[in-house]
Amino acid sequence: MPETRSQYRDELDQLEASALGGLELVNAALERTAEAVEHQDVELAQLVVADDDRIDGRYLEVHQALITLLATQSPVATDLRLISALLHVLKNVERMGDQCVNVCKMIPLSGNEPPADRQMVEMILTMARQTRTLIAQAKRAFEGRDVEMARDLVRQDDVVDNLNRECFRLALEIGDDADRREWAMTMLLAARAIERIGDNAVDIGEQVAFVVTGLFREFEDASHPV
Amino acid sequence: MTQIAEQAQQPSQKIPVRAPRPQGPRRERGNVELQALHAWYGANHAVRGVSLGFDAGRVTAIIGPSGCGKSTMVRCINRMHEETASGRAEGEVLLDGIDLYDPAIDVVGVRRLVGMVFQKPNPFPTMSVIDNVTAGLRLTGADKDEVEDRGREALVEAGLWEEVSGRLKAPGTGLSGGQQQRLCIARALAVEPEVLLMDEPCSALDPVATLRIEELIAELKERVTIVIVTHNMQQAARVADTTAFMLSGELVEVGLTEKLFTNPDDDRTEQYVTGKFG
Amino acid sequence: MEHALYAQSGGLRRRRRVNRAVELTSTVAAVLAVAVLLLVVGSVLLKGLGALSIHFLTTPTALFGEEGGGISNAIIGTAIVVALAAAMAIPVGLLVAIYTTEFAPPRIGNPVRFVLDVLNGVPTIVTGIFVYGLLVAGRQQSGYAAAVALAIIMLPIVARTAQEVLALVPATLKEAAHALGIAHWRTTMRVTLPTAAGGLLTGALVAVARVAGETAPLILLCSIFAPGNLTDPREGLATIPIFIFQASESPSPTAHTEAWAAALVLIAFVLVLNLVARAFYARSRQRMEG
Repeated sequence: MPETRSQYRDELDQLEASALGGLELVNAALERTAEAVEHQDVELAQLVVADDDRIDGRYLEVHQALITLLATQSPVATDLRLISALLHVLKNVERMGDQCVNVCKMIPLSGNEPPADRQMVEMILTMARQTRTLIAQAKRAFEGRDVEMARDLVRQDDVVDNLNRECFRLALEIGDDADRREWAMTMLLAARAIERIGDNAVDIGEQVAFVVTGLFREFEDASHPV
Repeated sequence: MTQIAEQAQQPSQKIPVRAPRPQGPRRERGNVELQALHAWYGANHAVRGVSLGFDAGRVTAIIGPSGCGKSTMVRCINRMHEETASGRAEGEVLLDGIDLYDPAIDVVGVRRLVGMVFQKPNPFPTMSVIDNVTAGLRLTGADKDEVEDRGREALVEAGLWEEVSGRLKAPGTGLSGGQQQRLCIARALAVEPEVLLMDEPCSALDPVATLRIEELIAELKERVTIVIVTHNMQQAARVADTTAFMLSGELVEVGLTEKLFTNPDDDRTEQYVTGKFG
Repeated sequence: MEHALYAQSGGLRRRRRVNRAVELTSTVAAVLAVAVLLLVVGSVLLKGLGALSIHFLTTPTALFGEEGGGISNAIIGTAIVVALAAAMAIPVGLLVAIYTTEFAPPRIGNPVRFVLDVLNGVPTIVTGIFVYGLLVAGRQQSGYAAAVALAIIMLPIVARTAQEVLALVPATLKEAAHALGIAHWRTTMRVTLPTAAGGLLTGALVAVARVAGETAPLILLCSIFAPGNLTDPREGLATIPIFIFQASESPSPTAHTEAWAAALVLIAFVLVLNLVARAFYARSRQRMEG
């Protein structure tokens, strides 16, 4: 029996692919951002900033299409939850892109000198790598509607959070040195931006749970430490 | 999280007699309860063991694909099913605890307590507007003059008074489709039933007339328990407090409307409301 | 290249010819039918107008051998006999129709319908003989006997038309009435019958128009009458069909013209009744389709 509303289903599937494709874009942006930090590459940083337009463009396009679907197709039940989740995911993607831009904008500030503290840079690069794994896992969890995998994102994000706390401690130590103080502050801001990206990925995981169970529960809440 | 939202997220019972109730005062009378209702057309088993409750003061919608038995089930409530040549029903239909199928009860009396509005508006063509509204009272023995006041009240309750107050003596069939249907609603209300059954009341009407009647339903539910059969899911979503989904004569799921349309429990309900079949 | 629409195929030409041929044939047939009616009415008009006058209509038939009579007694006699027949057939026919459409289950309703159709097809002379054996043999001819025979002929017409009209009353009206808690018989009396009223009247008028000119039963049952008896149906009454029959057998040419004139009166009566019946039927249909 031919499935009814197949055009609508196809469109919904495409929009989901588009929204999740945005995560790929973010992942690539984060990779380039990490490289720009490691080599203090101003040109690469500027490329990431310029490329964020693509992410923003994707956000607008898919957002509009989803609103149109809401208006014209009267989605209910799972379809409705999916559209609601995709709208959230789009917002998360857009924010993640903005965080990458924030980091890249700071790179010229730290001057064209070699990094002041290798250890700190290493920690930031590790954070970036781990966050990219987080993003990839969030995408897989959404595609597969895998709630367990989504919950696991919290654990993965804890690693990033811990590294962020380490960076903070390290920045405090370096702060005593007047020459390197400014550099350390900038690096700390970069670490925080990456940590925020990780949180956004966890949010996407929560949306997976909403689509599957119809219940919206925060996996972890800043005000209620797990 | 608000109380309603909490309730909407609870799983609805699989074989319920009554859906979880929204908060608010409940009327004392007009509670209907079907228990193990079966209905046949000759050999065709159209309704299979349905147990379902309709709360007083609420609107319950029955949805489901064509031929699922929803109209048949509703017609058992006012015992119209047995009017059909080969129609037969078994089980209990309780109105405030009284079994309407009790042999000691006169079927005519049942129909005064449980009114019905049909798919196609059907005012009596040989009667005027006011005679149409009072037909249920006059033709069951009431005095013609006494009932005129009740007839006017019923027209007010049906939201039709302003449009017809100047032509009460005009033929009932001279009104527009939407007006005719509201006339039929007034006619049903005039006998002061406790329950009002509506079998796809808006199918034959244009969208504006449909919306007016939906607004009317929202007002009327304070007064009468309303059961509405509809194949228009958006209408069920707009109008009903509780929605029940039927398939092949069986009750698949019943629950708060917002729950059924955002997170139904049964996969078949999910498939139907999202349009994967039906 | 020219558009496909412009291509003329052989099939198209043949189709056009066939269309025209069929159109022509059916038009000719329709013209023929109308022509026949016009011929009949026309010849009756032409041949009878001469004898038609107020005097003709208001004077009783002349006694044997005399001239200058009219058909006033025949008109009265026909009116009485037909009225009696209608008084018997119409209520019974209506009740039969109500019974079969409203109350009887299909396994009784269908055989009754069949029986009525058969009765409708019984030759009127046979009905006449039957009533003769029943009411006239051993006694005398009478207007009552004629009325009974005509009633038997009218009954299936009234009943069948009434059945058709009652069946046309939308079931939803009856459903609506029942859903209001109105009893079945009350629904029939106050909803179904009033809605069908126009059509029922039509059926009655059509039946009357049909029997007004039935001759065979009259010959057997009401052709011998005392000239002085104008209104007593216990004995024979003069009737228009019998007048036509007897006048046309007479050698006198004036009598022949009088026969034509009486025929004219009869046709006029039937035509008017039919037109009135059609008007009622149209109004009734309009109401039900409301």
